[in-house]
Amino acid sequence: MIIPIRCFSCGKVIADLYEEYVQLISTPQPGTDGDLMPDGEAMDKLGLNRYCCRRMVLTHVDLIEKLLRYNPAEREIVKIGQRG
Amino acid sequence: MPSWAPLSADQVAEQRRGLSEEQLQHRRIVNINAETVTDVSATDIPGHYGPGQDDSWDLNRFAQQLRIDYHQNRPNDAAFSLIGLDASIANAFRRILLAEIPSLAIEDVFIFDNTSIIQDEVLAHRLGLIPLTGGTKGLKQLRWFKKPPPKDDFAALAVYDQDDLDPSASTPNDHNTVVITLDVECRWATVEQDGRDGKQLAVDGEIDPTVRYINSNVYAHQLVFEPQGEQVQWFSGEDVIRPVNPDILIAKLRPGQRISLRCHCIKGVGGDHAKFSPVATASYRLLPHIEITAPIVGSEARKFQRCFPRGVIALQKDPASGENKAVVADPMKDTVSRECLRHDEFKGKVKLGRVRDHFIFSVESTGQFASDELFLDSVRLLKAKAQKFKRHLSELEEGR
Repeated sequence: MIIPIRCFSCGKVIADLYEEYVQLISTPQPGTDGDLMPDGEAMDKLGLNRYCCRRMVLTHVDLIEKLLRYNPAEREIVKIGQRG
Repeated sequence: MPSWAPLSADQVAEQRRGLSEEQLQHRRIVNINAETVTDVSATDIPGHYGPGQDDSWDLNRFAQQLRIDYHQNRPNDAAFSLIGLDASIANAFRRILLAEIPSLAIEDVFIFDNTSIIQDEVLAHRLGLIPLTGGTKGLKQLRWFKKPPPKDDFAALAVYDQDDLDPSASTPNDHNTVVITLDVECRWATVEQDGRDGKQLAVDGEIDPTVRYINSNVYAHQLVFEPQGEQVQWFSGEDVIRPVNPDILIAKLRPGQRISLRCHCIKGVGGDHAKFSPVATASYRLLPHIEITAPIVGSEARKFQRCFPRGVIALQKDPASGENKAVVADPMKDTVSRECLRHDEFKGKVKLGRVRDHFIFSVESTGQFASDELFLDSVRLLKAKAQKFKRHLSELEEGR
């Protein structure tokens, strides 16, 4: 659901790297014509060397973002949007 | 004198003069063949090489041979070679590092309010895994907190000896418990407080929650250490108890959701729960050994080079023939994939192995203590355990 705090296998802390990882792979690299950084390169950059830690960020599905949409704040905005 | 009788250091040295350096080196190698691995066991057993050639363990010889070379020594990642000791001792260090060196972690979480979508138990588990750090001196002198068994666990209660325990060890106090609190509430960004109207931005199509809301992400740096009693002296200023990684994402919130809790951190060992383990990984591998027994030249040399990871095999110009010759450059980089043994052209030209008493250690600390310091702690702990065992043995002998 939310990124695990540590790698399941080796115990390295990974929860602080996930946001940076998403940032790295989704923003165009400077000096190129809009090319995104490959996943592997981003993980190398974050110091995720072992394949156990790499699979943690590579295969994570951030479902919490979907679940967070079930809340009154979201509904309020939809209502205002419909009215306007 | 029987063949297995241990020899004195002088006698061993005398006998060893008869053996060439090459022979001695050969005895340290574990052979790795295409399908099998041979000569795995250590040979420092009395009489292993027959009478008159005693290779048994000797303290003086051990002290002379033991070597530690650091390859890199960063606080969070140390790599070093430990040369000249038995696998059982090296493994003892590794296991002590993983499971027996005490460290501080969140153990009890008292949740006053949690309206986030992360369940209480999941949240408590996540909090427990956050590595904490603080003044090393203060952390080292922290005492154990002995948790009494739960009231409904009658089996544990029966074994639990009330009289044997120090009552102050099972009540939280400033010597055994560290208190950390977390109090976060998420809300819409407002013009008065934040200079932007989150609601209006949302209506206009803004989707970034960090712009729309305040405190939409809960991070580890929002944990607040609350010093109790004498803790002010040990954990203040630079030594304050704090998470090692301030950017750990603990939970995500939406407006109106709130987390309010208090954590009790205690000292524990990795054998009890992995969160107490002071290292992320502590592992070793044996130094790979590559012996080229017959020259490998020309295009074969290049193929041979490609059988190994980059940097293991170098090509050298052979002055006689002018061709490239394969030489071993850095066996430490090898992964012992045995790829070169699959090709017929290298048959009989190369021997793979590992050096039995050369351990390449890698210790990756979670951040509470420095990696090299942790290794020294593991040595100290093993020594203390050995001394305790010795004391028990002498007590046994005395019939106590």
